[in-house]
Amino acid sequence: MTSQPIWSPVALSNMVEPSTSTGAVVNGAELVVWRDSSGKAHVWEDRCPHRGMRMSFGFVRGDHLACLYHGWQYDTAGQCSHIPAHPQLEVPQTIRMQTFAAAERNGIIWAGATADANAALLPAERTGLVTVRSLYADCTSAKALKVLAATPLPGSADAPTVEAITENYVSLTSGPIRLLVAIQIMGEEKTALHMMATEGAPVAALARYAQDLRLILETPVAEAA
Amino acid sequence: MITGQGDVALAEVAFVFSGDLKQASFRQFAQHRAERLALGIDFGAASERFFDVTVAGDEALIDMFEMACSLGPYDCIIHDVTRRDIVSPASN
Repeated sequence: MTSQPIWSPVALSNMVEPSTSTGAVVNGAELVVWRDSSGKAHVWEDRCPHRGMRMSFGFVRGDHLACLYHGWQYDTAGQCSHIPAHPQLEVPQTIRMQTFAAAERNGIIWAGATADANAALLPAERTGLVTVRSLYADCTSAKALKVLAATPLPGSADAPTVEAITENYVSLTSGPIRLLVAIQIMGEEKTALHMMATEGAPVAALARYAQDLRLILETPVAEAA
Repeated sequence: MITGQGDVALAEVAFVFSGDLKQASFRQFAQHRAERLALGIDFGAASERFFDVTVAGDEALIDMFEMACSLGPYDCIIHDVTRRDIVSPASN
């Protein structure tokens, strides 16, 4: 994740329920995004140090994430604290997950490039936002930005006004509608867009707009021309 | 006697892993697993047919080391493992 922005969006906040885990990819790095029972989000490397099993297949027990394979349990700091096959073992500090900073801002879970990513570099907090949806497309983030800038929002015939809030977070405005899009670079040709809108926006129409957007995003350039 | 991290030496075991080995690959793999499991490690003789290694630390973690190395890195095939206790927990 070194060539990535300091903070990358990895999921819409309401897509990860407390006591569940899911997978995410940032620039090819596989991550597990999970919430403990108190609702706090965590982002780690998606790989158990024991046998390499994906931790996103694991299960949450209170404030621990347990690997599906042999049940090794990791606390919220990523330290292995319990090995079921050796319940008496004092687990060495060396058995731990690679962790990344996790933060929630504007309805989105953001992953830091490192465990101590500077929270001051997160996008500014906004209130009164509603969830639209996430969109996963086989295209570059540059193409996604270009298409977002050129595609009219619902109820408008003109391209929206685009404001880059950060390098991976843009605001699209058209009349009363304001759509905030967090761009997750998954790989060279894989991009996820996490969309939130200002309260009162036509969410259903925006969700359909996003669906249409995907077709445009995945249309090869030659076909589009 | 070699010691694990934190100077814990509950057990010490000498292993000989034999099979089709790439020495550098197997050594790196064994070193990584030993560090992960907080085991002390000492490398002995090695060839493309066998690898001699001694580890020290908690017995349960040594068992995990044996299991991991018996699978080995992707470019090594382990056919046999011999294990010899140098220091057993009972003798501590």
